[in-house]
Amino acid sequence: MPVFTKKKLFAFIAACAVFLIIDLWMFSALRTSYEKSVLGDKKELVVALARSAPVEAGTVEAWLAEAKKAHPGLRLLHVQGIPGAEETKESSLDPELKAVWDQRQGEPAFKSGVEAASYLEVFLLPDTVRLGTSRSLVMFAPVPNKEGDTAVGILLAAVDESILSSFVNLTYALSAIAFLLFALGFGIATFSRDPITGYAILVLFAIVLTFVAYPLFEALRLTFVHEGRFSFAVWRDILTNKQYLGALVGSVKLGALTATLSTIMGFLFAFFVARTSLKGKKLVTALATLPVISPPFSLTLSIILLFGNNGLITKRLLGLEHFSIYGLGGLGLVQTISMFPIAFLTLAGVLEAIDSTLEDASLDLNASRWQTFTRVTLPLAAPGLLSSWLLVFTNSLADFANPLLLSGSFRVLSVESYIEVTGMNRLGNGAALSILLLLPTLTAFFVQRAWVAKKSFVVVTGKPSMRLSDLANRPTRLFLLAFVVLSSAFIVALYGTIVAGCFVKNWGIDYTFTTANIVEALQRGKAALVSTMTLAGIATPIAGFVAMIGAVLVVRKRFPGKRILEALMMTPFAVPGTLVGISYILAFNKPPLLLVGTGAILVICYVIRELPVGLEGGVATLRQIDPSIEEAASDLGADQATVFRTIILPLIRPAFISSMSYTFVRSMTAVSAIIFLISARWYHITIQIYNFSENIRFGLASVLATALIIIVLAVFGLMRVVVRKSEHLEKTVTIQ
Amino acid sequence: MEKQSVPVHLDQVTKIFRDPKTKSDVHAVRDARLEISGGELVTLLGPSGCGKTTMLRMIGGFELPTRGTIHIGGEDVTYLPPNTRATATVFQSYGLFPHLDVFENVAYGLKVRKVSKEEIGFRVMEALGLVGLSDLARRSPGRLSGGQQQRVALARSLVVRPQVLLLDEPLSNLDALLREQMRVEIRRIQKSLGITAIYVTHDRVEAMSLSDRVVVMKAGVIRQVGTPSAIYERPDSKFVAGFVGKVAFFPVEVQSTDGAITCVLAGATVRAGSMAPDVTVGSKALLMARPESLRLGNPGEGACDGTVATNVYLGSSVESFVTTEYGEILVQIDDPSESRVKPEGAKVSIAFDEARVRILPEAEE
Ligand SMILES: Nc1ncnc2c1ncn2[C@@H]1O[C@H](COP(=O)(O)OP(=O)(O)OP(=O)(O)O)[C@@H](O)[C@H]1O
Ligand SMILES: [Mg+2]
Repeated sequence: MPVFTKKKLFAFIAACAVFLIIDLWMFSALRTSYEKSVLGDKKELVVALARSAPVEAGTVEAWLAEAKKAHPGLRLLHVQGIPGAEETKESSLDPELKAVWDQRQGEPAFKSGVEAASYLEVFLLPDTVRLGTSRSLVMFAPVPNKEGDTAVGILLAAVDESILSSFVNLTYALSAIAFLLFALGFGIATFSRDPITGYAILVLFAIVLTFVAYPLFEALRLTFVHEGRFSFAVWRDILTNKQYLGALVGSVKLGALTATLSTIMGFLFAFFVARTSLKGKKLVTALATLPVISPPFSLTLSIILLFGNNGLITKRLLGLEHFSIYGLGGLGLVQTISMFPIAFLTLAGVLEAIDSTLEDASLDLNASRWQTFTRVTLPLAAPGLLSSWLLVFTNSLADFANPLLLSGSFRVLSVESYIEVTGMNRLGNGAALSILLLLPTLTAFFVQRAWVAKKSFVVVTGKPSMRLSDLANRPTRLFLLAFVVLSSAFIVALYGTIVAGCFVKNWGIDYTFTTANIVEALQRGKAALVSTMTLAGIATPIAGFVAMIGAVLVVRKRFPGKRILEALMMTPFAVPGTLVGISYILAFNKPPLLLVGTGAILVICYVIRELPVGLEGGVATLRQIDPSIEEAASDLGADQATVFRTIILPLIRPAFISSMSYTFVRSMTAVSAIIFLISARWYHITIQIYNFSENIRFGLASVLATALIIIVLAVFGLMRVVVRKSEHLEKTVTIQ
Repeated sequence: MEKQSVPVHLDQVTKIFRDPKTKSDVHAVRDARLEISGGELVTLLGPSGCGKTTMLRMIGGFELPTRGTIHIGGEDVTYLPPNTRATATVFQSYGLFPHLDVFENVAYGLKVRKVSKEEIGFRVMEALGLVGLSDLARRSPGRLSGGQQQRVALARSLVVRPQVLLLDEPLSNLDALLREQMRVEIRRIQKSLGITAIYVTHDRVEAMSLSDRVVVMKAGVIRQVGTPSAIYERPDSKFVAGFVGKVAFFPVEVQSTDGAITCVLAGATVRAGSMAPDVTVGSKALLMARPESLRLGNPGEGACDGTVATNVYLGSSVESFVTTEYGEILVQIDDPSESRVKPEGAKVSIAFDEARVRILPEAEE
């Protein structure tokens, strides 16, 4: 509901006037510079043409015909001799232009054209000339003699003025749109009762439109453009080329394999933790969640160290010669270990939420334990199983770092699109491939929404039952225990291998102890480490604030376009990193936003990619806070900014801090999007690890990976300490 | 604290909520017109969901009216945000700041207003003294009882010296005894500071005992505004009569309205003390009688006959439930003695105290 006062109205009109002036000035400058460059191009072309024009009579007609073929947009008239000074002979294939020449050559404007040409200068008629149905720009260019010091003739060239007017119309339209957008936005912000909220909404909209919608649109647009015009060529190429289709099939195969293995493994771990009375649950939980936060390349690296061509186990211990870890099998292994925690966390939640009295009831009715498990527990957990499968599946598809190092000749979409862009410089194909990646992801998302949400009948009783009936009999328990212990041991061994890799001279060949790696890696990686930490450090508070302000708008405010804003803020969650990277180089490698090569684009990329997670955390926390707390603050005289600073931020501090530490860690460990965006000045530590690994310098790669693991663990440790300090809040927030 | 009494005027205020799921409109408040004078305490009374909170929130600036205007102290505040209004609200759920202690909670409004440190200290302790919480200044609100939290909320609102105090069922979470104490306390503070107060409740006893005037609402519509005694003695509709106290209704036909007000009940002419404005001669109407204006007599003596179903002994009075052809009717017998209370199962008649019965229109939507 708007509030109009004289003061506001005046401020609004003044601001609009100022903006209008700037707007017009900017666009007229843009137009002039465009006209200059277009006309300059044409002038150059015409001059070059005139220079190539024949001096001898008789060949002119043939030359004109050729020129017309080469430049269909140009209408030419060739004048042999300088009018007024000598005998002239005109020849043209264009009767309309010839008629104009015959009719108007006496006019002063034409005379000055002739005069300029006779002094070897180009001349543009100040007014356009009607030729047939449309108006044209007419240029006079000198035809020089062989020596090039005297004009022996004149070339008249006419181009349709639409080459200018279409752009002029476009600039008018754009400047009008810019003005309308400004007036609309500024008007909303000024006249709404709560301008601070209004501005926050505008700023967030500007951010997501510029950095989410626009790049994605650019990427999509590029896939429909071929040689400057609309075409399905790119998609036809993608969908018929065996190589690309192979990558699609490869991605789906890998995704299905990883999702299945991870869900089975996650279920066994979750069953162990949530449904048995075995000991060591805390330790298992900690170990099982470790891979979630481990940096990219680290697990792949240790798999290569252990099972690679020169691997400790494959070569040294088993002496295998032709074994290759590269390909589907190795990838499935690495991805399962890095992604089963997702399944574990989902399923542990589901299994814990199942009221075990249901199982008791089944046992009570004389069902066997196996019957109880298959008829009660499993059906209840089924939606959870499916949703964990889908979650892992989409994660596997989007995964870029593991396949980059380990795919060998096996093709997946994410790596394929990277090669298309950086190796082949086929941006359109790269964009199309990564958009293809979006399809399974979106399908999975909608299946999840449509099916899992409906079938979800987990019974949450609110009071966890104290006593669990042990569904597993002794052999099953032993099997579970063995599986969990062995898998955990394997995970620990993988991390141990990376650390060990730091101290080995030349893995696979020379296992002597050395600390030289550490010195060299830190020396060579220092710049990358510093620039990564700097940029991640800059992105962190920005991401935190943007996410929290977004959460406040989503939870507490009503405004038109809210759902669009929310959807746009959540979009990066579903978009694979490779698509983000490609769309960013497409959108920000040209004016008006020339950002590629700067540190800013990396910061923006971090902020945008982590926005959804921070937003969700903020929204969840804010939903638990009684809105009358904020209303009370506002009632006591605080404006929206003060309420945010003094009330909301302290209350959602846990979400704020965890969103920030999450952003920091994820930015430090990012690969897929930023690999497209880094520059020599702003390098990234993970890419440095990748480069070392590619050059078989595993010792150096291990050192950097270990350093990254230490940083990640330190940040999370710090976060837990800080959040625990504000834990008293969590209890009192919901008091009423 | 200086006295500053400002009136509050609502003119044709309407609030329509749009249910986002069903896309249907909810008329939370319809065409409310209300004039509250400075220093008055008015209660908004009505059943759950009748729009009391919505009305209060519009005055506080938390909701915008769909139509209509709100004036506070002569100034149009309809679209002003809460932080620029001279109102202070005590929320039903208190809305205490959980990350600040009691002192900081109360000081918040003063800090935002950039009051000097010494003055904040002084005024906060004064306000806490007013509600009897001086020694709990450093507690965190999470470790206070419900009554203490409520008093912190009250102190926090009072300390900024609002011109209008808005209270949304502030006592609903308290036990009966504390509720009575706080009610008296709120009334005392409000009177001594000369604040205009609007108090939402669905407890009729609270409304009656507290307010200068009562606003009875139903389904978003203000049904009647008046002093507690006027609302109780002279309601204008069946709904208001029933909502503010126990009552019995008898179907009658109105006979005459000038001079003596008479009506016909089961063929016999009955006089009534007053009638609602929109009752017309010859129409069907209701005769309304409070339990204390009814007497028991021997069969055939009174206006209608019945049988005593139950007697409820309340100490200073007895409530007799009598089954009649008009349903079960409650008769209150003050100063009960063996002779005046009829045994259960006895045949009795019911007679009116004619000056105190009232005729209401029959139509009830
Ligand atoms: N934000 C809202 N959106 C939609 N409908 C609402 C909203 N707030 C209130 N309503 C509806 O408006 C009507 C009035 O609500 P209100 O909270 O004012 O009732 P109330 O009189 O305070 O009730 P109670 O005594 O239970 O607190 C109700 O029907 C309610 O469902
Ligand atoms: Mg209410």
